[in-house]
Amino acid sequence: MNSPLPLDPSLPEPLARREFLRMLAAAGAATLSMSAPRLLAESEKIVQPAASADSCILIWLAGGMAAPETFDPKRYAPYEKGLSYERVLSTFPAIPTSVDGVRICQGLENIAQVMDRGTLIRSAVQPDLGSILHSRHQFHWHTGYVPPQTVACPHIGAWMARVLGPRNPVMPAFINIGQRLEGVGESEELKSFTTAGFFGGEYGPMNLPFPEEAAAAVRPPKGMDAGRFVNRDREFRRLVDATPSRDLLSDHQHESMLRSMDNAYRLLSAKERSAFDITLETPEVQKDYDTGRFGRGCLLARRLVENGARFVEVTTEYVPFFQWDTHGKGHETVAKMHAEIDRPIARLIRDLEQRGLLERTLVIIASEFSRDAMIEGRPGSKAKDQAFNKSGVMTSPDHYGLHRHFTGGTSVVMLGGGVKKGHVYGATADERPLVAIKDPVSISDMHATIFRAMGISPKTAFDIEGRPFYATVDGKGVPIPIFKG
Amino acid sequence: MRRSPLLVSLLAAASLGAAPVDFAHEVVPILRKHCGECHTGDKKKGGFSMNTRASLLEGGENGAVVSLVQAQQSKLLEAVASADPDIRMPPKGDRLSPAEVATLRTWIEQGAVWTEGFAFKQPAYEPPLRPRQPVLPAAKAGRTHPIDRVLDGWLAEKGAPPPPPADDATFQRRVSLDLVGVLPSAEEAQAFAADRRPDKRVQLVRALLARDVDYADHWMVFWNDLLRNDYAGTGYIDGGRKQITHWLYLSLLANKPYDRFTRELVAPSSDSEGFAKGIIWRGAVSAAQMPELQYSQSVSQTFLGINMKCASCHDSFVDRWKLRDAYGLAAIYSDQPMELVRCDIPTGKPAAAAWPFPELGQVDATKPRDERLAQLAALITHPENGRFQRTIVNRLWHRLMGRGIVHPVDAMQSRPWNQDLLDVLANRLVESKYDLKAVLEFIATSQAYQSRAEVLARDAEDKDYVYRGPRAKRLTAEQFVDAVWRLTGTTPAKIELKVPRANPAAASARKPVIEPLVAAPIWSGDIAGGRLPAAGEMRSFRHQLVLAADVDLATCVITCDNGFDLYVNGKKIGSGDNWADPKSFDLSAALLKGANQFVIVGSNAGSSPNVAALFFQVNVSLKGGARVRMATDASWEWTKSVPNARGTFAAAGKAKAATKAAEVVWQPVSLVKSEAWRKAEVRMAEMLAGVDGTSSLPARASLMKSDMLQRALGRPNREQIVSMRPNELSTLEAIDLSNGQALTSLLAAGAAKLKKRKWSSPEDLARWLYVSALSREPAPAELKVAAGMVGPDLSEQGIADLLWAVCMLPEFQTIR
Repeated sequence: MNSPLPLDPSLPEPLARREFLRMLAAAGAATLSMSAPRLLAESEKIVQPAASADSCILIWLAGGMAAPETFDPKRYAPYEKGLSYERVLSTFPAIPTSVDGVRICQGLENIAQVMDRGTLIRSAVQPDLGSILHSRHQFHWHTGYVPPQTVACPHIGAWMARVLGPRNPVMPAFINIGQRLEGVGESEELKSFTTAGFFGGEYGPMNLPFPEEAAAAVRPPKGMDAGRFVNRDREFRRLVDATPSRDLLSDHQHESMLRSMDNAYRLLSAKERSAFDITLETPEVQKDYDTGRFGRGCLLARRLVENGARFVEVTTEYVPFFQWDTHGKGHETVAKMHAEIDRPIARLIRDLEQRGLLERTLVIIASEFSRDAMIEGRPGSKAKDQAFNKSGVMTSPDHYGLHRHFTGGTSVVMLGGGVKKGHVYGATADERPLVAIKDPVSISDMHATIFRAMGISPKTAFDIEGRPFYATVDGKGVPIPIFKG
Repeated sequence: MRRSPLLVSLLAAASLGAAPVDFAHEVVPILRKHCGECHTGDKKKGGFSMNTRASLLEGGENGAVVSLVQAQQSKLLEAVASADPDIRMPPKGDRLSPAEVATLRTWIEQGAVWTEGFAFKQPAYEPPLRPRQPVLPAAKAGRTHPIDRVLDGWLAEKGAPPPPPADDATFQRRVSLDLVGVLPSAEEAQAFAADRRPDKRVQLVRALLARDVDYADHWMVFWNDLLRNDYAGTGYIDGGRKQITHWLYLSLLANKPYDRFTRELVAPSSDSEGFAKGIIWRGAVSAAQMPELQYSQSVSQTFLGINMKCASCHDSFVDRWKLRDAYGLAAIYSDQPMELVRCDIPTGKPAAAAWPFPELGQVDATKPRDERLAQLAALITHPENGRFQRTIVNRLWHRLMGRGIVHPVDAMQSRPWNQDLLDVLANRLVESKYDLKAVLEFIATSQAYQSRAEVLARDAEDKDYVYRGPRAKRLTAEQFVDAVWRLTGTTPAKIELKVPRANPAAASARKPVIEPLVAAPIWSGDIAGGRLPAAGEMRSFRHQLVLAADVDLATCVITCDNGFDLYVNGKKIGSGDNWADPKSFDLSAALLKGANQFVIVGSNAGSSPNVAALFFQVNVSLKGGARVRMATDASWEWTKSVPNARGTFAAAGKAKAATKAAEVVWQPVSLVKSEAWRKAEVRMAEMLAGVDGTSSLPARASLMKSDMLQRALGRPNREQIVSMRPNELSTLEAIDLSNGQALTSLLAAGAAKLKKRKWSSPEDLARWLYVSALSREPAPAELKVAAGMVGPDLSEQGIADLLWAVCMLPEFQTIR
């Protein structure tokens, strides 16, 4: 890979790559030998599938993206006063895409033009976890396990970090863009799955809630110029070296601490850190991506993958009752969300393709569940109705939209990364209830599919508290047949 | 495929009258080859083990596997012969040959004859349940402490010398962090170094443990982790979780005996029920996560070191616990009859309330819930329940020594590396009437604890552990943050919790005085006509308090709209500049028998005249038990004069001052009629009642909600029980420590404060920092680098960078 990023001349040249790899390998082994869970012996015997992707970008449309308003358009009914909910399946008309016969919703014109780069899964299903709460479904989607669990479950990004390691040793393997974990509703619930869980902090997410501030996250601290930062580190090393009776200190724990300090310093002074700075892009590129925080996050994700990130999640952010969590004014809000995601996602795909990275980068577009204008949960379920309007007809444009959570049929798009191109997998009914009627895909199978692309067997297991913990529940996830060849 | 009855009878006929099967030579190889991987030794897939004849006949989760009465009906024979993928055994790999199947058939028909005492693998270790009284080896080299007698004997057997002793400074830093969670201050370090008493280490251990508040603050970390209690987190959002913070803090403060402590958690009252209630998630959850099963898991893990998580779903594959054991505990807690649910599928079998060690007695399932819980609590804390005692002393040993005697500490079914050591500790717990501080003192006063830390090799494996002295531990997030706060003088003024942090001077036997707030708002008498105090107006107020006896304890609360300086007996006690933030001070040492003089200077702020008021109240306990209270009221006096720096109005022997004193005119105050300070009054009342977020004691990280920095340093989400935190610093954590805003700001603020102090030279500051942070003097080479960082002008940047560098040293980040 050819990196155009300039090296900060004021910072020391990072160690030779090979030396660095060696150190990291030692660090990894040292971490393993102590407290971290081990790969199960029987898991070592499992043949890992050949990877069709090296990197993964999960585009997370948090809050419940209605499939009939995005990737699975159904019968369209325009708003009129007194319109019955029964008549509304979609509030956007369908438009053609670059794949013959496949239509998605108006508002996604740019994405429509890149749909031929991957597979559209229309039959994802989720269990109805009682009152179908966002954070529980998000936990399930991100870890593969329904909360609560007796052990702290790792996020899929942490699975990749743990099993595959970083692609580029200086780049954190798991980067999470766009989600604040403080000061937003249900933040404690979000934290409980935005974690490496029992794998331990080394495999956890680097959280970058604001893409425009990502550069600062890998820069010397605010108010400290490069010279002082370098100097501080040099003096720190001199203090370490000057420590008397080093023989008492040079044990495993000290070495591993110093190694982590070294790793941190290397990232903070490596050329790769400029990958975190989206202002290094041309104004034209920045403008094209910049539909808001999410768009800027897509640009950041592209730069990170270009520089060797393993797993990157970019989210429109989950904040209860905002973004895709439309309990009122659904049509109006989704139109805004279309505008926020359409250009950056399409540009991301084209940029990756142009750089020759799309073939080995799996880009996933997903959400915790879908929505419907009438049905809450699954057909027949009795979840609490949080919709804005309780009557059977719409008396205001605010009532126009898909305001109820629906778990019976959800769309997931997978682009690049070795999946079939221009392919559609599964289908939902054309009349309510819009449930998956062909090839339903469970979360376990969805994870098995993602892991298959990344070269991880769904049966991979770690020994935690003396029992096996699998990449997919009981090791039973099965990849769906959407791969080339 | 199901076998037809015809086939069965044909096969049965074929084996009639066969010669006796040789178990050892014919049967064992077949079973070992085809069944051993999943059903012998520690493995029991489906709850079925053929390790011994007894376990073979006991069967598995789905009932009998071998029937001696109807041999042909044995499931084992069906499974090995079947081609049905749902039935066949082994499920994968080669089938048994017809000859092998015939051998098994004959063997079962002949009564499954088994060689006496044979087992495929030695059965899993089963630890003793009841207490043991180990015989201690004779003391060696005058090392008479029971822990040392055991360990020295053990080392002698291995031909290894005891680890060399740690020096005083290392010991002091270690024991301070281990027992109360904070570094010794530079003054404490100097005092300890200068102490020539031969028993000074024992004295230090006792002195630290007597610091009730520090002890409680520190051990909140351990217990919050172990009882999964937190101040914010999943579940609190909608009442699905309940804190036990207040109960826990009081229990630690009072060093509540551990048996009682446990009983109050197992059979809880409303203030301690949060642990038993667990976390109730909204919506549907797996059967194994129902609150009753959570109770079963939490009680088992925390108090008995049993992992009931596997058995909550199905019979455990990894230890001896079965689904019915997990449900037995759950059913004790449940207020309704429960049904066994295996892997989320109801079995139709009722769960019987029972606990896992019936050898010591059993819960009466017919009694009401409260009685069942009380019975369970009594059984867990039964004097003969060595498991309970060993579990907690092993946890304490792990905290202090860096590795459990049984390790990991939640797997108490495993073999300890030294059973006698574990029992010596457990017996100490019982002898001390379950006094945890006594156990900590017991460990900390041993030569073993006071030894040099083990130097771990890079590739150290934990599997075949050999004791070589205590192991270094990483500072907890809370210890790290507390240490940085103290070094930099940036400790926040408030804790977020409302817990009763009693007077640190108070021994546990003495209770802090708790009385209601009676203080009235006062200001100078010249407001009587309706005058509003001017902006910037200063008034001095005074009152005398005559005490008939020596003071045992005295606490005051004070606030003033807008600011105050408080003087007692010619000494400044403290000040404040925000009326909404009342202060509390310990006056136990400042007050004396006889007449005590209180002077308070109040000042008004603002840009135009506005209402002003002073509140003050002191509660005193006298030796002998009498209580005295004094608060602002109409009997106070005021003057326009302002006192000197000691709060007095005349300096003896100085004529000028005496003249000035003569001019001081004292007049009665006025009561201020306003509700404007309601908020402050509520806080002061809380402070007096001991539920105070703003006591004059320094804040501790353990009493704060978790934040980015603490999370970065490994403070866990407490959704699951955490008994051991990771010992390693991760790269992401290191990045946070290298450029994170939280730490950078703390260090910058600390540098600014340190710069203001008087230092004779950069070396002076560097020396102070080394003693304060590492409890040792810097070596010359270190001093040179450190002083160089600070620079001759002691720049703030240089100080901040040195603070950072010292805090990043592995030596700082570990307890060794």
